[in-house]
Amino acid sequence: MDIVGFWIRSWINDDRLAVRQLLAPDAEIEWNLDAPVDDEELVQTLHRIAVFADSVTVVLQAPAEDGAALAYDLAAPFGTARMFEFLTVAHGRITEVRQVYDVTATDRFLPGLYATP
Amino acid sequence: MSLPEVHLVGGTAAEAARLAPVATAMRDQGRLEPILVAAGPDPLAFTRALAAFQHAPGRAVLGGSAGAEMICRLDRLWATHAPAAIMVQGDGGACLPAALAAFWRRVPVVHLDAGRRSSELGVTTMAEGNRRLLAQLATVHLAATPLAAMNLLDEGIAGGDVLLTGNTSVDAALATVGRRVPYADPALAELRAGGANRLLVVAVEHTAGVALELVRTAVRRLVAIHSDLDVVMLGTDPVGGSQRIAGAGRPAYPDRARLLADAYLILTDDGDLHEEALAFGVPALVLRELTDRLESMFAGCARLVGASPEAIVAAASDLLDGRVRRDAMLAAGNPYSDGLTSRRAAQATAALLGHGAFPDPMPVRHAAGLAR
Repeated sequence: MDIVGFWIRSWINDDRLAVRQLLAPDAEIEWNLDAPVDDEELVQTLHRIAVFADSVTVVLQAPAEDGAALAYDLAAPFGTARMFEFLTVAHGRITEVRQVYDVTATDRFLPGLYATP
Repeated sequence: MSLPEVHLVGGTAAEAARLAPVATAMRDQGRLEPILVAAGPDPLAFTRALAAFQHAPGRAVLGGSAGAEMICRLDRLWATHAPAAIMVQGDGGACLPAALAAFWRRVPVVHLDAGRRSSELGVTTMAEGNRRLLAQLATVHLAATPLAAMNLLDEGIAGGDVLLTGNTSVDAALATVGRRVPYADPALAELRAGGANRLLVVAVEHTAGVALELVRTAVRRLVAIHSDLDVVMLGTDPVGGSQRIAGAGRPAYPDRARLLADAYLILTDDGDLHEEALAFGVPALVLRELTDRLESMFAGCARLVGASPEAIVAAASDLLDGRVRRDAMLAAGNPYSDGLTSRRAAQATAALLGHGAFPDPMPVRHAAGLAR
């Protein structure tokens, strides 16, 4: 099963149930946004992007044996922010999600996406 | 005990020229083993430029034009041969894929010439976005100028991760121009054989179509007005119509460096070439409305003229008719480097890996007329 492809389709189409099922129970989540993150905060943030963005496009997909590196363009009403995502896949589940956002563009075009401390 | 390996990844001749002095400094300092990696669609151009510095790439990774392909190839390389850190320079085609591949496998990224941003407020092009993302991927940011360092701090990069080092354009110039090797291209050698005429280098990398024709028109007018002027055009076909205008395509780095060293003035739309010219003590007229080399504008060693023939001819003639005006553009010095950048960069990389202390930042020259 193409876990990475399923992950992409699930969160872009706002299927939070599928996203939660794909994440391993002890999945490690990291991002560069100025807010703490765990698996549920990740699910909620992806949900907000899916709902708010006009479109989410995968602009780069670099597969590896143990996962993939992805780049998304998050097109919002007033501009587009890019996000990189690094996934590690093991035994049919996603065990690691590391996200790198263009913080400047994200804060400008996707305001309120994450809860600042 | 073997030294930690650092992979210096580049894809163009300009990147090779900027990374090679750092590799030399790393070898001289003896704390790291530098491996130059040629990545991108044309590793040969990178390799040829390195030869001018007596370096050769230790690895070549053909990446094609697609970032994903380059990331995958670098990932396969580093899966079997993981470096202690990588270094990328500027914001060229190989930088972001290399930084992504390294970040993916938790290899620290040292970004040389970090923090360069476009001058227009609110610019949100993908190129600017990719520069910001590169900053988020890097571990240590070696900024060429205080403005570049401030750009990084404004984007939330921790101050402790930013070091003002300058850029290696002067280091590269010092390494090559001192040797005064003859031109390898016979056409260039013939054009400059007399040596009496002043040389105008016109380098067009990003201008095409109507705007390029306007630049060519300006060049023809300049040659007609100034009888002691030779013109060499880089990156585009020559305009024809005069024996004093020659085309050099994309010459190998030694010829390009020699041309810049011999030039009286350059007209260019390429930021890297504009910086290199300053390293050789040559002022620049920038054929754009916008630039990310703001520091040279503030220092007065470059001017924005756009692509209008009237503006180009007026600005160039002003400097061709006045040697003092031309030399005065360089009076404030080169804002990008003091010639010690490569040593700082090598020391900073070693410090990142636990070998020695971080270097002091490059001293900053205060611009004349500004309050301290």
